[in-house]
Amino acid sequence: LIPDVQELVDQSMPRERSTHRQVPEGYVYTQYHPMEEIYQWMTQIQKSNSELVTQHYLGKTIENRTMYYLQISQPSDKTKKIIWMDCGIHAREWISPAFCQWFVKEILQNYKSDPKISRFLQNLDLYVLPVLNIDGYIYSWEKDRLWRKNRSPHMNGTCYGTDLNRNFNSSWGSIGVSYNCSSEIFCGSGPESEPETRAVAEFIKRKKSDILCYLTIHSYGQYILTPYGSTTKPPSNSEELMHVAEKAAAALMGKYGTSYEVGSTSLILYSNSGSSRDWAHMIGIPFSYTFELRDNGTHGFVLPSDQIQPTCEETM
Amino acid sequence: IPNSGHKYYLQFTTEDYESGENAGSCLATVLYSKTKSPPVVSIKCTRTKDQKQTQEEDNRLYQKIRRQTKPIIGNNIPDSYGNIEPALEPAWTLAVAGSSYIMWEKSTENLGYFMAQVKSVKQWMRKDDFIEFDYTVLLHEIPTQEIIPCHMRLTWLPGHPLKVKYFCASENQGLEDGSGMESGSAAGILHERGANF
Repeated sequence: LIPDVQELVDQSMPRERSTHRQVPEGYVYTQYHPMEEIYQWMTQIQKSNSELVTQHYLGKTIENRTMYYLQISQPSDKTKKIIWMDCGIHAREWISPAFCQWFVKEILQNYKSDPKISRFLQNLDLYVLPVLNIDGYIYSWEKDRLWRKNRSPHMNGTCYGTDLNRNFNSSWGSIGVSYNCSSEIFCGSGPESEPETRAVAEFIKRKKSDILCYLTIHSYGQYILTPYGSTTKPPSNSEELMHVAEKAAAALMGKYGTSYEVGSTSLILYSNSGSSRDWAHMIGIPFSYTFELRDNGTHGFVLPSDQIQPTCEETM
Repeated sequence: IPNSGHKYYLQFTTEDYESGENAGSCLATVLYSKTKSPPVVSIKCTRTKDQKQTQEEDNRLYQKIRRQTKPIIGNNIPDSYGNIEPALEPAWTLAVAGSSYIMWEKSTENLGYFMAQVKSVKQWMRKDDFIEFDYTVLLHEIPTQEIIPCHMRLTWLPGHPLKVKYFCASENQGLEDGSGMESGSAAGILHERGANF
């Protein structure tokens, strides 16, 4: 299975594009979409690909919006290992949900014609959560483009938002966080204090014995980050984690020459605790990665839509 | 360096902000002292582009701005979708240059910055040949993840160093202490790339 995982993250863009009408006609993957449209897209995707895709309820956000994930699963009598990918944990990182949508589209458009993809799906199920922080994402569309956190109210509604990627139960609250609600890295009132965090954590806990790989997509910076952020002590399977990540970065660079740095967060970026990636690894998921997509700071969070396609293509 | 601080030795390459083309390489040392701030920097760069070419590019940018009959005014550059209107691109370019000076002064051993967005820009027309812009720029601070608004006044004439005056909103909580307001004025810093930092 390990070579399979390597190949999944290495996967390069299929050369021929099939003309299967399996993706919603007219949905423009090279543009950013508001949440309403992403909800509609999920419904459509399941409808047009019902043999492969099912939409599932994950939980509710603090503002009571429904969180859905898509399960891409080829019917089979054997239980398959799972690859989980979530996007949009930080509201302002718009390229991230754009990538999740692109990823789903690519798989569905090419699974019959691309032998690599059809081989994965024989052995693996893909679970994709296109937008984790739905309330925050909507807020970044309507009110504040550079919002990061969720929208949970604190201090009698005078302060909003917990950084969901500091809220997981992985050395929670120990380093690289703030206990002050007005900070962008406020870790919340306790580990898993946020409904969005709980929704993801409870699901992953339930399925953890089958989950092979946990991927969480962010921007920007162009990194493939391995555990841990909360300590510089390397994870038990550090060599293997690095090896796979390095192969992925090389494959990515092969597409458009974009260079991604690979390494543990605490060593190449900065220390932080409570991240979903650290937590996933700590509960036993062997391959856990954070992807920080384009760019390197020139546009940062406001990545132009004409970069959606190359970013997504190289990351595939 | 025991009892004194940390000294960093750096070797890095530079690239053109817009085209990504290689622009040269540098060797530098940075000494963060426990007692003194800002750090002591020594740097030497070799450029790939020659002076003449850089001057020509500067003049082109300058002319582009001067040709406009009305003062340049804008908001949210790039916009939410990452687009920059062609008419506002020169203003954005100068904002990048001016912000880099602010970031240079503000950054510490533990805090770094990127320019996230130009919130607003307004051109002040002058009787002399200088170009003057008033900006609110948003800086993305790492690792705090904060967005810091800074008011920046920038004055420029090709062949002269960029003049930057700025005032950034203060940080009143977080991992590092940032009490009080910051203000700085500068003369004679940036002169295209590879300036005498």
